[in-house]
Amino acid sequence: MLKHLFTLIWNRKRANALLIVEIFLAFVVLFVVGSLLVYRWQNYRAPLGFAYEQVWEVGLDPGIQPKAERYATQQQIIQRIKSLPGVRAVTRTGSNTPFSNSHNSSNIERPDQRIFRPPSNVYRVDDAAGDVLQVPLEEGRWFDRRDDGAPVVVISHDMKELLFPDETAVGKFVVADGKKRIVGVTATYRADGDFADPKQAIFLRNGLQDTTFEHLETLLVRVQPGAGGALEKQISADIRAIGPSWSSNITPLAEARDKQMKTVLTPLVALVITCVFLIVNVALGLFGVLWQTINQRRSEIGLRRAIGASAGGISGQILGEILVVATFGLALGLLVAAQFPLLGVLGVRVGVYGTAMALAAGLVYLLTVICALYPSRLAAGIQPAVALREE
Amino acid sequence: MFWNYLTMAWKVLQRRKFFTFISLFGISFTLMILLVVYALYDHTVGPHTPEKRVDRLLFTSSLYLWSPQTENGGHPSYSFLEHYIRPLRTPEKVSISTGHGVAVAYVGNTKLELAQKYTDGEFWQVLDFDFLEGRPYNPQEVRAAAHVAVINESTARNYFGAARGVLGRTIVTDEVRYRVVGVVRDVPASRVFTYAEVWMPITTSTQDIHNAEYMGSCMAILLARRAADVPAIQQEFARAVRQVPPPTAVYKWCTEVRLYAGSLLATTVRERLGEDGPDDGVVWFGQAGAGLLLLFMLLPALNLVNVNVSRIRDRSSEIGVRKAFGATSGALVRQFLVENLFLTALGGALGLGLAAAALHFINTSGLVAYTQFELNGRVFLGAVVIILLFGLLSGVYPAYKMSKLQAVQALKGASNPA
Repeated sequence: MLKHLFTLIWNRKRANALLIVEIFLAFVVLFVVGSLLVYRWQNYRAPLGFAYEQVWEVGLDPGIQPKAERYATQQQIIQRIKSLPGVRAVTRTGSNTPFSNSHNSSNIERPDQRIFRPPSNVYRVDDAAGDVLQVPLEEGRWFDRRDDGAPVVVISHDMKELLFPDETAVGKFVVADGKKRIVGVTATYRADGDFADPKQAIFLRNGLQDTTFEHLETLLVRVQPGAGGALEKQISADIRAIGPSWSSNITPLAEARDKQMKTVLTPLVALVITCVFLIVNVALGLFGVLWQTINQRRSEIGLRRAIGASAGGISGQILGEILVVATFGLALGLLVAAQFPLLGVLGVRVGVYGTAMALAAGLVYLLTVICALYPSRLAAGIQPAVALREE
Repeated sequence: MFWNYLTMAWKVLQRRKFFTFISLFGISFTLMILLVVYALYDHTVGPHTPEKRVDRLLFTSSLYLWSPQTENGGHPSYSFLEHYIRPLRTPEKVSISTGHGVAVAYVGNTKLELAQKYTDGEFWQVLDFDFLEGRPYNPQEVRAAAHVAVINESTARNYFGAARGVLGRTIVTDEVRYRVVGVVRDVPASRVFTYAEVWMPITTSTQDIHNAEYMGSCMAILLARRAADVPAIQQEFARAVRQVPPPTAVYKWCTEVRLYAGSLLATTVRERLGEDGPDDGVVWFGQAGAGLLLLFMLLPALNLVNVNVSRIRDRSSEIGVRKAFGATSGALVRQFLVENLFLTALGGALGLGLAAAALHFINTSGLVAYTQFELNGRVFLGAVVIILLFGLLSGVYPAYKMSKLQAVQALKGASNPA
C-alpha cells in the first residue's frame, strides 16, 4: 500500500513539485527558528548560579581626578557605603557584572598542561562577593581573610569539569594571572544572562596589592529587602561628597536583567511572528490546493468508489498521498538541515539541532494532516453515481 | 480593454471566496512585515529630525589602533578630534560631542535616568532640532563652560511637571546645577548619534577634555556645504587621518590609526558589524538584505503560485472557449497578469493598513524610546515596488502554464497539459 502511494506520487512528481518545494521551505524555516528557540529555552531553564534580587550595581566614574588618588577615594566610598543602614555587603569588581553584556575572558590552564581550551569568564571580586551574589558552593569554601598570604581562586562547576574531570579540584593549582590554588568550586555560574550558554567561570580574589582603580571600577552592593530610591539617592550623594569630580550610576541587577531580556527577546518574538505567519500561509495554501485537487479528481474517485473502495479507504488514500508528498519535502529539508550542525551555522549546541529537526518534522506532518482532513472527508463523501454522471 | 480585465478580475475574486482570502492573506501579511522592516530602516537612517539634511552629513565614531596582529577599538577622544578633525577645510562645520552617557536626576526620591550628551556649540548648527521654546547654547557659552542645558519635552514634563515655561529653571543632574535654555521635541532613541534627553556643553563635563590620549568617548559630525562635497570631505578626512602619528608611546605595536567618516547609513552599518577597514560593509549589508528579502518572499510567492495554478485549472473550460474563439496566448497571459497584479494591489492596500496598525502597536509598546514609526512617501513607494515585484513573481509561472493549455483538452476538462 505504502509502496503503491510512493509510486503514485513519484509518477506525478512534476505536478507535485511546487507542493514539495513549499513543504521543504516550510520545514527549513521551522527548523531554523526551532533551533534558536530550543537553544534559548534550554538555557533559560538552567539555573543562573547566583541571586540577583536586592543586588545593585554601582558604576563609578572618577572624572578628572588624577589616577594615583582614585584607589584611595574608592576605598573611602566602599567604607561609607558599607556603613549605610540598609546595605548588607559590598564587593569591588570589574565591569563584567551580571547581565551587563560585558566580558572579560582568557584561557585558563593547569600548570602542567598546555592544551588549547575555550576561553573562560574571569571575575575579579572581593571576599564579600560570595555574600553579595549568594553563589552556591559544590565543594570547598569561598575565599576570605585566611587567604591573605597565598593567591587563591574559586572556579565554577563547568571549569572543574573541563580541567579536573575525574578528580577533586580543591587544593589543586591553575594558571590565571600566575599560579593560584583552588579553594572552592561553585555551581554553574551564568552571569552572561538567562539566555546565554553556560561558560566556565573563575573568580580571582582581589588581593591587597590590587591598588589600582582602573580594572575594578564597579561595585556590587547587596541591600536589604525594601531598600529603594532613598538609599540610592543617599549612595549617589555620598559618592559626590567623597570625590567631588566623581559620578555614579546605580542600577538594580533585576533592572539590568529585564533590559537584557528585552534585547534578546525582541528579535526572537519578531522571528516567531514572521514564522507563524509563513506557516499559516503555507497551511492555507496547502488546504486550498488539496481542496481543488479533490474537485478535479471527482471522476477518478467516483470510479474507485463504484468498483468497491470504501469511504475510509478513499480518505485514507488522500491523507496518505499528502503525507508522502510531505515526506519528499521533509527528506529534502533534512538534507539541508543536516548541514547545519556540520557547518555550525547557528552556533548552538549540536544536540539542539536534533531536537529542532524532530520538532519541525512533527509540526510539518501535523500541519499536513490538519490541512488534508477536510478535503479527504470531502473526497470520501463523493457519490459514485453523481461523479460518474458528470463525466 | 483594461477596464474589462479589471471587471473580470473582480468577478473572479468573488467567485472563489476562499481562494481570494488565501491570496489576500498571504499578500497583505507579507507586505505588512516588509513594510514594518522598511519603516524601521527608514526611521533609523532616513532624513528625519534632527538629521534632516542627511545627504550632507558625515559621521565618525569608531577609532581603531591597528596593526596586522593586534587591534584596539574604541572611540576617539575630544582632543584627538579637536586636533585632527576640527581643522578640516572642506566641511562647512564640524561638531564634536560625547557618545552615550547617563545623567541621574531626582524628583523627590524618584530617580530619573536621563540619556545625556555633552556637545559643542556647533552641534546645534549642524543638526536641525525642533525647538519648542528657548534656544540652543552657542559656541561662546561652550567656551565659557556655562552651566546651561537643552532638554527634551518629556524630561521637562517629568522633571518640572510641565512641557512649557521651564526656561531659566534649574535642573540638577549628578548633583550639578544647570539652567535650562531650550526645550526640544523628543528625539527617537533610534537616532543613535544624536539621541539624548539632556544636552550640555562639553566643557562642563567631568571628563578631561584636554587629555592627549587618542582613545576617549567622543564622536564627530561633519556638515558638507553641498551633498556633492561629501567625497571631497572623505578624501580630506582620510588624508588628515593618515598624517596622525601612531601612538607608539603607549601602544608599541600600533602601526596605523584607523578612523573613517561615512554617511549615517554607512556609519550605522560599520558600528553594527564592527568593520575596522576602509570597507564600511554597506555593500555586504545591501546584498544580505536583498537575499533575505527574496528568501522571505519566496514562500508566500510559491504559495500564491500554487493557488494560482489551481485557480487556472478551475477555469480551464473558460480558457478553452476563449482560445477556441481565437484569443492568442499573449492576450491570455496579459489578462492573467493584470488579474494577478490587481489582486496583489488589493492585498497591498490591505497590507499598508496592517502595517500602519503594527507600527502604531510598536509605537505604543514603547519598545524604542520616543519613537514614532510611521509610513511616509518613501515607505509607500517601497510598498508599490514590492507589490509589483510580488505580483510578477507569483503571476508569471501560472500565466505561462495557462498559455500552454490546448484548447481542445481544456474544453474536455483535462487540467494537466502534457
